[in-house]
Amino acid sequence: MNGNLNYIIRRILYLIPVLLGVCFLIFVLFNVVAPDPVHMMLGKHPSQDQIVELREQLGLNKSMLAQYFDIVKSAFTFDFGRSWATKQQISTMFKNGAIPSLTLTIPAFTIATFTSIFFAVIVAYFRGRGIDLFIRITCISMMSISSLVYILVFQNFLAYEWGLFEISGYEYGFPNFLYYVSLPILIWVVLSLGPDIRFYRTLILDEIYQDYVRTARAKGLTEKVILFKHVLRNAMIPIVTYTVVQLPFLLLGSLLLESFFSIPGLGDMTINALNASDFPVLKAMAVFSAVAYIIFTLVQDIIYTVVDPRVKLQ
Amino acid sequence: MFRTTLTVLLALSFVLTSCTKKRNFDEKVLTVNVSAKVKGLDPVNAGDSYSSNETARVYEGLLEYHYLKRPYELQPNLATSMPKVSDDGLTYTFNIKKGVKFHDNKCFPGGKGRELKAKDFVYSIMRMADLKNNSTGWWLLDGKIQGLNEWRDKYKGKTANYDDKISGLQALDDYTIQFKLTQKYPQFLYSLAMVYTFAVPREAVETYGEDFINNPVGTGPFMTGTYRQGNRIEYKRNPHYRTVYYPTEGAPGDKEKGLLKSAGKKLPIVDKVIVNILTESSTRFLSFENGDVDLSEIPKDNFDQVITPSKGLTAEFKHKGIELEITPDLDITYIAFNNEDPLFKNNAKLRQAMSLAYNNKVSNKLFYNDRGLIAQTIIPPGIGGHDETYKNPYQGYDLEKAKKLLAEAGYPGGKGIPEIYYETTSATGSRQMAEFFQKAMKDIGITIKVNTNTWPQLTQKTKKKQAQMFGMAWLGDYPDAENFLQLLYGPNASPGPNGSNYNDPDFNKKFEAAKIMQPGPKRAKIYAQLAQEVAEKTPIILGVHRTSYVLKHSWLRNYKFSTFKHGHAKYYDVDMKLKEKVLKSGKLKEEVKTETAKAE
Repeated sequence: MNGNLNYIIRRILYLIPVLLGVCFLIFVLFNVVAPDPVHMMLGKHPSQDQIVELREQLGLNKSMLAQYFDIVKSAFTFDFGRSWATKQQISTMFKNGAIPSLTLTIPAFTIATFTSIFFAVIVAYFRGRGIDLFIRITCISMMSISSLVYILVFQNFLAYEWGLFEISGYEYGFPNFLYYVSLPILIWVVLSLGPDIRFYRTLILDEIYQDYVRTARAKGLTEKVILFKHVLRNAMIPIVTYTVVQLPFLLLGSLLLESFFSIPGLGDMTINALNASDFPVLKAMAVFSAVAYIIFTLVQDIIYTVVDPRVKLQ
Repeated sequence: MFRTTLTVLLALSFVLTSCTKKRNFDEKVLTVNVSAKVKGLDPVNAGDSYSSNETARVYEGLLEYHYLKRPYELQPNLATSMPKVSDDGLTYTFNIKKGVKFHDNKCFPGGKGRELKAKDFVYSIMRMADLKNNSTGWWLLDGKIQGLNEWRDKYKGKTANYDDKISGLQALDDYTIQFKLTQKYPQFLYSLAMVYTFAVPREAVETYGEDFINNPVGTGPFMTGTYRQGNRIEYKRNPHYRTVYYPTEGAPGDKEKGLLKSAGKKLPIVDKVIVNILTESSTRFLSFENGDVDLSEIPKDNFDQVITPSKGLTAEFKHKGIELEITPDLDITYIAFNNEDPLFKNNAKLRQAMSLAYNNKVSNKLFYNDRGLIAQTIIPPGIGGHDETYKNPYQGYDLEKAKKLLAEAGYPGGKGIPEIYYETTSATGSRQMAEFFQKAMKDIGITIKVNTNTWPQLTQKTKKKQAQMFGMAWLGDYPDAENFLQLLYGPNASPGPNGSNYNDPDFNKKFEAAKIMQPGPKRAKIYAQLAQEVAEKTPIILGVHRTSYVLKHSWLRNYKFSTFKHGHAKYYDVDMKLKEKVLKSGKLKEEVKTETAKAE
């Protein structure tokens, strides 16, 4: 147990060098390479004194070193100030954006994962037979279609022609948000089915050809018991790896879906910040995703010890 | 495992059936879509048309444009009448309406909105001048009001003192405000109808500080209810709005179109305005077809589905009761040369040759659905200085003449011209336009290299004079040719609006003389002449003046297009009974047989 705690503390300490690195990258990208944001912000008739004043206000006249330390400071205090474009507190923008994003991505991700594993088990059970071939071909054809096509077709038919869903928009609070996120969730699930089923199928099949399965079969266990009691449990480690790695991205929302369905989530916020050269928001997003990534890989390690008692954190 | 998954799937299918919200038809609600994020509602920074439209629902200014009359005509809004102008044309005195109240807000004592006073305008205009606010509208008043620039410069890098007296900007008493200009400038009045100069209460600015932009407090017909810049802004009627009536006269033809049916009605007519922010054009149009919003523009990709070759509505859309309004917009598109570039500077023949090699007719079809009017000068139709009879000799496709001019310029067959860089953005439309230009220039032997940029990169390049060539569009700020001719005025070179950096002392002098003249036929003639002279020197390749196509549902009443549409929501009416009937009948989704479509 002590070892576990040590490990966790060590991993959290790793955050410091990683964040410094992230800050450096952000600094190079935004303060050195990126185009001067001042011209974007001042509109079509800027005067020379306005350019000077705005650069001063944004802290762009400071020395490069001071600009780097500004980023480091905000990364470690999590205080990113205000958005340049909308003048809102970035912490408020995050709070407002996280809810729509999570109401979309968490249900979508959960449903997609369970459905994919469900189908993967079926195809693994019937491996090499007609149903396996059929599902695999369906998966590949579904993957060959661009995600934009799904969005446009589903929006046009399910929402507009058949009137089953709202076309776009978002409202806060349960159950109101359900009206607006159900179609994007459905599209997310459909989009993930193709790659996910194939991936989970491979994971399960990798296990099925292991020696212990042969032993189990020799022992006289039924295919069903082997699949659910032994194979699936052993396939859990790669499944956990695959799913947990995706979790931090759930926080970031979905760029395309949020933009097409006008869901005011973090993905939508990022796109707008990109278009408006809203650097503080982009910097906050970058730091935030780095921290989320580190924390979730730690969570992943801890889950390993739960699903597989042989794994120890050291 | 099977059982859990099944339960999840069942629960999902349960959730997914009938996931639409019930519509409410009890209140009169105007619903519109906008295509870009709204940055916030602060008049001094309402630079883009999206922010200025939203800001003008809440705030008001001294003047406004008459809702129906064309050509555009100024009329008093918070002023009691048009100003008294002194004989030397320098002093403008306005009386403002009494009893006008700001919205109730916690920034006022007791939360009750106080009366609007002349000093509010003085304060609001000083805010525009305050360098700290970085107002995107400062150019409007820069150097125009006595003492204002001095006040601005005095507080450079410091906190400005708003109690200072400014000689050219004074509240003579609670209801009288006087402007003194540094030189004659009749277009000054237009700036008082622009959102930048609208009245804000000092209490709100001081209470909310940096968050003032997100907490609007004005005198306007609507006040913000739910305010989420990301996807939706909801306004409700201002219960204490002063008495304002719908106009009783309009332009010829307005009566026949039913635009005077609400004449004399108290404004605003609708109880609520809902603004949905939808950046994807396909989603925007779908929501219009679904009846979620009351009016819509036509996305380029849907154009053929909606409009017949003879510029009418297709049978499908007529059947739905949708109406089409076509109005020329006050704008100009063009391809700019950087006239400071050694290749283009003093090289009119090369510029003219390139203009002649560019086929505007084809580009109008390809990129504007043939709804643009090919520009002969920089001045669009509808304002003084546009001459319909004039034909620009360097506009219109003529490859032979182009080749001849190119040879005369010293580049026979395009030989000796280095690669020319054309800067554009990565948006599909812009890239296609760039490729079209590239192909056109290849025909006269000129090699164009297309550079794709992000929007911020492109802005930086043009503002720093680093772009050799690039495409531009200019939408008029006010209905006066000065606003278009200034695009070629030398002192306005980048980072100013003259992105082509054209600088012709002769043109500059004539422009300066014309812009201080009183409006009228005499000035219009000078404007026209000036526009033609400069057009023939080809500092830019002129494109088109675009025409606006707006679709509206049968239940939206009183809609009239305007280039200056801010503040118009108060005139609109929505027939909720008709809306309910149409939506419940399913008429919007009925199929129309193709035979009838062909017959139309």
